[in-house]
Amino acid sequence: MKFFFIVFFNGLTLAALYFIAACGFTLIFGLMRTVNMAHGALLLLGAYVGYEVVEITGLWTVGIIAGGLTSAIVGAAIQAYILGRYQGDELRQTLITIAISIIMADLMLWAWGGLTYQISLPEMLLGGVRLPILNVGYSSVRLTLMAMAAVTGILLWLLIAKTKLGIIIRAGVDDREMLQALGFETKKIFVIVFAIGGMLTGMAGVITGSALSIAPGTDMQFLLSSLVVVIVGGMGSIGGAALGALLIGMAEQYGLAYAPTYGVVFTFVIMIAVLAIRPQGLLGRSEK
Amino acid sequence: MMDSQLLKIEKLNVFHGSSHTLQDIDVSMGNKPKAILGRNGMGKTTLCSALVGLTKMASGHVFLERHDISLFPPEQRAKAGIGYVPQGRRMFRSLSVLEHLKLVERKNTNWPIDRIFSIFPRLAERKSNMGDRLSGGEQQMLAISRALMLDPKLMIMDEPTEGLAPTIVDDVTELLLSLQAEGIGLLLVEQNISVALEAAEDILIMVNGRIINEVKADTLKDNPEMQQEYLGITFSD
Amino acid sequence: MNRFIILLLIICSVLPVFAADFWLTQILSRSIILGVMALSLTFLTAYLGVVSFAQVTLAGIAGYTIAYFSANTAGIGAELPWVFAVLLALFFSTIAGALVGLIARQSVGIYSIMITLAISMAFFYFTRQNYSVFNGWTGFSGISAPSVMGLDLGAPVVFYYVCLFTGALATLFVVKFSSSPLGLSIQGVRDAARRVRAIGIPTSPVIVSAYAFSGLIAGMAGILNVWHQERVSSFSVGLGPTIDVLIISVIGGMRHPLGAFIGAITYVMIDTFAIDLISRDRFNTVIGLVLLLIVIAAPEGILGILKSVKERIKKIVLN
Repeated sequence: MKFFFIVFFNGLTLAALYFIAACGFTLIFGLMRTVNMAHGALLLLGAYVGYEVVEITGLWTVGIIAGGLTSAIVGAAIQAYILGRYQGDELRQTLITIAISIIMADLMLWAWGGLTYQISLPEMLLGGVRLPILNVGYSSVRLTLMAMAAVTGILLWLLIAKTKLGIIIRAGVDDREMLQALGFETKKIFVIVFAIGGMLTGMAGVITGSALSIAPGTDMQFLLSSLVVVIVGGMGSIGGAALGALLIGMAEQYGLAYAPTYGVVFTFVIMIAVLAIRPQGLLGRSEK
Repeated sequence: MMDSQLLKIEKLNVFHGSSHTLQDIDVSMGNKPKAILGRNGMGKTTLCSALVGLTKMASGHVFLERHDISLFPPEQRAKAGIGYVPQGRRMFRSLSVLEHLKLVERKNTNWPIDRIFSIFPRLAERKSNMGDRLSGGEQQMLAISRALMLDPKLMIMDEPTEGLAPTIVDDVTELLLSLQAEGIGLLLVEQNISVALEAAEDILIMVNGRIINEVKADTLKDNPEMQQEYLGITFSD
Repeated sequence: MNRFIILLLIICSVLPVFAADFWLTQILSRSIILGVMALSLTFLTAYLGVVSFAQVTLAGIAGYTIAYFSANTAGIGAELPWVFAVLLALFFSTIAGALVGLIARQSVGIYSIMITLAISMAFFYFTRQNYSVFNGWTGFSGISAPSVMGLDLGAPVVFYYVCLFTGALATLFVVKFSSSPLGLSIQGVRDAARRVRAIGIPTSPVIVSAYAFSGLIAGMAGILNVWHQERVSSFSVGLGPTIDVLIISVIGGMRHPLGAFIGAITYVMIDTFAIDLISRDRFNTVIGLVLLLIVIAAPEGILGILKSVKERIKKIVLN
């Protein structure tokens, strides 16, 4: 029973990480119908920059901001200078982001080599706590991770549900043309959304590099996890991403614990099942 | 009386693939409302969409108050003073009524949200309803409000009475008449001939992508043969 | 175009007279194998209008079948006469193609990309975890092409002709299949799924058969690939090769079966000679830039570029 709960908390931690990583991806897909295959590369870039900044300054908060900003700028530039010209041409955009992710991954390999990096956390997060009742040790990092996932989710929800920018974003999701006809420059809005998505992704990279570690290949790993999370939960829905992350995180951890051989396969089986039965994802809306 | 020129369309052409959807459209109008009548599939909606910039013009010019806006993207046309009430209303389905209005709210508008709510108390009652959870009439009020709040010089309305109950049709018609008093021009596309005849003095007849005639509303009203010929109206709806 | 293909075939068939073994094996045979793999994707994209990331998986299934039923160093499987192994490999890749089609039948555009990507990644992880059939991430090695009546199919010149024959056969299959009644309904589904359904043809079997056919073509490439590499493992069906095949199709152009082969030879040349252009380690940057340039500037690929050059020359000549 205790084992079951340990696995449960592991699943929760992983879900928190997957959720944080998927937020930027789902935001960008939700508004722009752009499948950003360079998502993983942006995440890894943010992580590397965060690592460097933390090494220099010794301040984790500065590192996460620097990582976030770098990916925000790179993301916005990709949208403004390349992707924006092909809005609506989804296939071409997908291919372009694949090309960008290949180039970015290779350049990062050049700059940072094949080593594995871990970003050092502030000291206050290094300890552990004993969970009451279960009497299971649990590291503060993991609790922080969950808190961060909750904060990210709530902030993103507030942004989308309560602010003027959120209203504009939702209107753009519903009917881009009509939004334009009401005087909104959707191009500019798309660049802003890409910047916000990039920001979230870069910060997620720093968090990933702190909670786990980063190396070449982390980009593809988190691109795939985000893809699966968002497909299972429903494209462009934050609640969907949370649900998807929870399902996938749990499936992976319980799979590892109880059926170690095929743990990873479970994830994809869930995804294929969801796509076959409910192509728009569990909480996704069907296309018009 | 010199009627100041609000909208002028010169030799506007639009193609959809190989089909020539709009052919050398010429329209000139001032502050007096004009209506475009024609059967389904004659190019009326394409004309609206080309005027607001959502459909690409192959050639020709559009002038708003003598400024050439032909090369403007939709958002600049909206800022230049074109309000668009599209066919089918096109509500944002994840926005509430209030959010629809907040989306387009600006400082110093002639149409602040309070004023909209006093004109359409129904919208105030339903301000937290989602855009697609309104009746057809309420959606129409919201679509019109959404366009009005941009303080347009010209409203382009594509079949505003489509699918509405007869009493609501009367309300909308009355609203269209009141636009003129506010100094807002109106280009109205209609299938409902009686609405068009009531709301506009000049009627443009559109057949197969061309404006084939411009008549006074009164002339058309008293001329059933003409109605039959151009519009194929054998019964009123 | 047909005359051009025949000319190309004649040129290709006399190449062994001039080319060294390195060129035959590492450049030409490899290009044809990758070309056939890309052809299976080009077929789906051109005729059904979907982009599939599962083609390398389908090729891999054929490759694994060959490995399982041939002599190998993994000590797994049962040796069968090569003809049976080949037939089984084609059978499994075709069935697998049909299964992919069954799962992805409702998806188009980016959704078909994502679902097929998921399928291929699921298969990739499965091969890494499964030891009884796929021998985990190490897979199979020590597989060699069979000898037929004393002729070693693996010898460079012979293998090249086997590849050339298979490539020509696959192209012929695609051309013939696409003009068959079923091929025409596939294109009908691409252009107007609803209308095809309205005239009484259910779309699912049509889509499934298109995927199955692409599985057959991918399987042909998969068999050659395992003979060429002499091994097959989880790496053969990973994300890298999957993206490579997509790149090849896009670079070559998806409007005509030939595009797949043009893309493949371009890719292999860059892969082999990028070392002279720029440090070998930056191959991915080069191929990424090539892909980016092609997607942005020439969405119809090299084939499209050649076509517009030809038209321009024609115009100049006529004037």
